[in-house]
Amino acid sequence: MLGVRALFGIGLLVTSRGGSVLTHTGACAHVASNIYSKDLAHRQACTMANTIKYLGQEEAQHIDEELFNEYSFSVDQLMELAGLSCATAVSKGYPLQSLLKSPPRVLVICGPGNNGGDGLVCARHLKLFGYAPSVLYPKRPNKQLFQNLTTQCEKMDISFLTELPEWSQLFITVSVTQLCFPFGLFIFILKDEARVEHGCPDGFQPDMLISLTAPKKAANHFKGRYHFLGGRFVPPALEKKFQLNLPPYPDTDCVYQLN
Amino acid sequence: MFCSKEEAVAMETELLRDYGFGRQQLTEMLGHACATAITQVFPLASLEKRQPTVLVACGPDQNGCVGLACARHLRVFEYIPTVFIPKRSSDALHQDLRLQCERMDLPFLSYLPTEVQLINEAYNLVVDAVLGPETELASVGEPFTGVLQTLRGLKAPIASLDIPSGWDADESSSDGISPALLVSLMTPKRCALSFSGAHFLAGRFLPFDLQRKYELNLPKFSGTDAVVQL
Repeated sequence: MLGVRALFGIGLLVTSRGGSVLTHTGACAHVASNIYSKDLAHRQACTMANTIKYLGQEEAQHIDEELFNEYSFSVDQLMELAGLSCATAVSKGYPLQSLLKSPPRVLVICGPGNNGGDGLVCARHLKLFGYAPSVLYPKRPNKQLFQNLTTQCEKMDISFLTELPEWSQLFITVSVTQLCFPFGLFIFILKDEARVEHGCPDGFQPDMLISLTAPKKAANHFKGRYHFLGGRFVPPALEKKFQLNLPPYPDTDCVYQLN
Repeated sequence: MFCSKEEAVAMETELLRDYGFGRQQLTEMLGHACATAITQVFPLASLEKRQPTVLVACGPDQNGCVGLACARHLRVFEYIPTVFIPKRSSDALHQDLRLQCERMDLPFLSYLPTEVQLINEAYNLVVDAVLGPETELASVGEPFTGVLQTLRGLKAPIASLDIPSGWDADESSSDGISPALLVSLMTPKRCALSFSGAHFLAGRFLPFDLQRKYELNLPKFSGTDAVVQL
């Protein structure tokens, strides 16, 4: 079994279509050139993103409270939309046809809080989108909501692992927890983190960040390739009240690429 | 692929009982998917009136719940939906969804004008979420018979959710509402066999083994799409 600490030594592995396993730097340079030579207009449109508000922890909590208390949303509802956003962002950043294995293996690591619930929903939608997710869910809260989400995954033939797998080929890790596992292409979903203002611990280099509802201050420290905004359910009045300045989501997309 | 009323009910029961899904979840996904289908058939740019107004008529049962979620997503997609609920519902989910629409500042009609001209002039499109396949048609009375009559006389296009209200889920209809768009929920019902307008399928959450069990043979959804055109 690979312990968490041991993984820090492996670094990030990325495979290209050629099938060979490259080191992070090499692959990053290769992929990065594709990313940055992309549509300049798209990047210019994204300058609107500069005026988006980045939330502090207290504000983020207030917004959540209002969504549930004033706007009468339920956790189930918003979690479903949030998880869908995450899966959509993953499929935009790592499209099926660009990955080596078919179906591509994805590890979804779910923490003990609501973030973990987002991860379970995300795993389910990833399965529907044609990925092959497995879930690592070491600490499960004793609430019906999470038990239901777990059942839904199990019934979709998504396996729940008891330890980290020893996959050597490309896979994506969706981490919905404060713990960080730096192997594979790596996505960190940030929502209600306790350390929301202080950024991520050392040695932790996610490739993609999906901010839910609105970006948090910690996202300023994010150096990865993809920053997506998800959770397209903010009522206009709430957006105005907190001056979120959310960008216009394209069409009916539930994600917006911030970088 | 086209299933009967009983099969549809059985499938939904299994989803809730055995697969751990919640009604709120399924309703949210279906409402979101229906709104997506509507934007594909009636894109904002194609609407003729000055404002992208849509009337969403929601009955008191599950069909109405999906309509309420759909109305909210239409608002997020920048349409201007107005909600009409002919009869208050005793269903807790319905009440919650209604509250969410109110909190999103969606206007509510207190009654549906019988003069169809008023509706045709005010709205680009009417979303029919009044009656679903679970409705016992024999027991349908006022105010629904009046609402259906008004809908039948509309010139404005209608988008029906799951089945056109007033149709029998298992049979085709000759004198009922004639929608321009039908969004089948989870799987098309038998009555849709005779439907000739734009037909979409919503409900991309059906577990694969459930699909196999009921031999649904659903078409593939592409990419991350929430709907597929049939």
